Amino acid sequence: MALPVGLRRQPANRGLVSRCTHHHVVVFLLTFFSYSLLHASRKTFSNVKVSISSQWTPSCLNSTAPELRPDELWNSNRLFPNAEEATLFLGTLDTIFLFSYAVGLFVSGIVGDRLNLRWVLSFGMCSSALVVFFFGTLTEWLHFYNKWFYCCLWVVNGLLQSTGWPCVVAVMGNWFGKAGRGFVFGLWSACASVGNILGAFLASCVLKYGYEYAFLVTASVQFAGGVIVFFGLLTSPKEVGLPELGADEDAVVEEDANRPLMGSDDADDDDRNYSIQAADTDNQPKAIGFFQACCLPGVVLYSLAYACLKLVNYSFFFWLPFYLSNNFGWKEAEADQLSIWYDVGGIIGGTIQGLISDVLQKRAPVLAISLLFAVGSLFGYSRSPNSKPINAVIMAITGFFIGGPSNMISSAISADLGRQDLVKGSSEALATVTGIVDGTGSIGAAVGQ
Amino acid sequence: LDLSNCSLHSVPPELAEATAAIVLDLTENPLTTLPNGSFLGFTHLQLLAVPPALECPGGSDAWQEVTVDGSSRRCQGQKNPCNGSTDLAWLCPENSACAPDGPGFIQCLCDNPFHGYKCLREGTFPVLLFGGILGTATISLSLLLWGTQRRKAKTP
Repeated sequence: MALPVGLRRQPANRGLVSRCTHHHVVVFLLTFFSYSLLHASRKTFSNVKVSISSQWTPSCLNSTAPELRPDELWNSNRLFPNAEEATLFLGTLDTIFLFSYAVGLFVSGIVGDRLNLRWVLSFGMCSSALVVFFFGTLTEWLHFYNKWFYCCLWVVNGLLQSTGWPCVVAVMGNWFGKAGRGFVFGLWSACASVGNILGAFLASCVLKYGYEYAFLVTASVQFAGGVIVFFGLLTSPKEVGLPELGADEDAVVEEDANRPLMGSDDADDDDRNYSIQAADTDNQPKAIGFFQACCLPGVVLYSLAYACLKLVNYSFFFWLPFYLSNNFGWKEAEADQLSIWYDVGGIIGGTIQGLISDVLQKRAPVLAISLLFAVGSLFGYSRSPNSKPINAVIMAITGFFIGGPSNMISSAISADLGRQDLVKGSSEALATVTGIVDGTGSIGAAVGQ
Repeated sequence: LDLSNCSLHSVPPELAEATAAIVLDLTENPLTTLPNGSFLGFTHLQLLAVPPALECPGGSDAWQEVTVDGSSRRCQGQKNPCNGSTDLAWLCPENSACAPDGPGFIQCLCDNPFHGYKCLREGTFPVLLFGGILGTATISLSLLLWGTQRRKAKTP
């Protein structure tokens, strides 16, 4: 089978350049930014935690001092008696969000497959934007503070946001196919980190007007993005009559499986949903049972490792601005701007470590070394001094060492498992396995909260 | 406001509504004590007359002149507690400033550009400007993309 594979390899590489139409560019940019916006609105919540918790609690002075007057200016909001309880509730909200997000991921892949991807994605973006608006802005404008209301809204938000990733990945899979996946996906999967940076930037600009405006800005930009996606996205080349990808590419699966996906945390999900789409063109996908998939060598190990990693990653993601402003007394807007460096480190780390492991053809050593350094840098970070430049540098280094292995594990899964004899050619097994890993990861993150 | 000789045994709670009073007379009432917060909000009060057994609210430091004659104690000229020697003024949190709230009482009001709960918010967000820019950008991008991308789309 060597000759046909070699022959087919050439056209795929040439084809990557030749078939890049303006449609491809637009699809790339639209999916990139729609996922970035979803991530940005998640990030907004983490960035305004300090403001929200001071909004929900009365002023706290030493017990000997008399209470501040006027009462409605300083003490009237007693949703939580003190800042510690408010923080606990904020952590609970994060956990709820992650759990409903994990559940939603399972459902959304199936839904997106059966319904039009464009409708699902724009519906998800617009309705998630509305929910975030209710959560942050409307409750403040109406001065309606209620714990159950917040919890319910956040559960719904988790479910709606989970529609984003499967849809964007499926659309990218339709347009870019397996051959160009290595390079294009590597570039594309920076979208989550870009979203974080965008969210942090927007929030820090608007925070001085009140945290409700941070939510308003990200929600309305996300809504606008949903509208633009609805009008401008072509879910597959079929829609404009271009040839469908995938028919001539089964033979290059093996080479591509070796190429690491420089994906973000959730890159493994892209395989699951990409393969659901490709199942139409494959003749007979041999699905593998859930328990069989678990018993494949390395799956359990990778799942647990990924769970631990995702725990750390999401702890940083959700709590970094809060920690910075509480520990060092920095203003919340400055803490937000500094937390951007963590994501920058993550982007660089994912790219460079992917390249290194690609060159070395070995993943485990790179992973192990990077995680060791990650431990060291986390330790160093907890001792970092009260100085912004030094803190930013250490934060970037930490992001480098945590984001790197995170991406690598998700890409290593697709590569190594695709090579195993039991599941060669069975794309559904890949989906199940990566679904297990990502689900475990999310649960690990949720538990960590 | 003249409440003298009204047989008041205790300060009536309705007194709290009379915060605009400049002169208040409570003499010749069998009052035993003035509860601590009775004169909250009486920022205009310049002359207060109480039975001689009672102290001026806020203590003698809160008034410019305290005179006692046979039937009454007169507290005259309410001093601004924020300027005074008392060390209450530092209590006000960030972005707020001390303001008088009655004899010996202070309140913390927000400094000028700050407003809202706990004086956390500064300035007003230009909602209309933001909405206008975003709306225009959305509409133009949508039209542009629809024209170049989806117009030729055949629904599968």
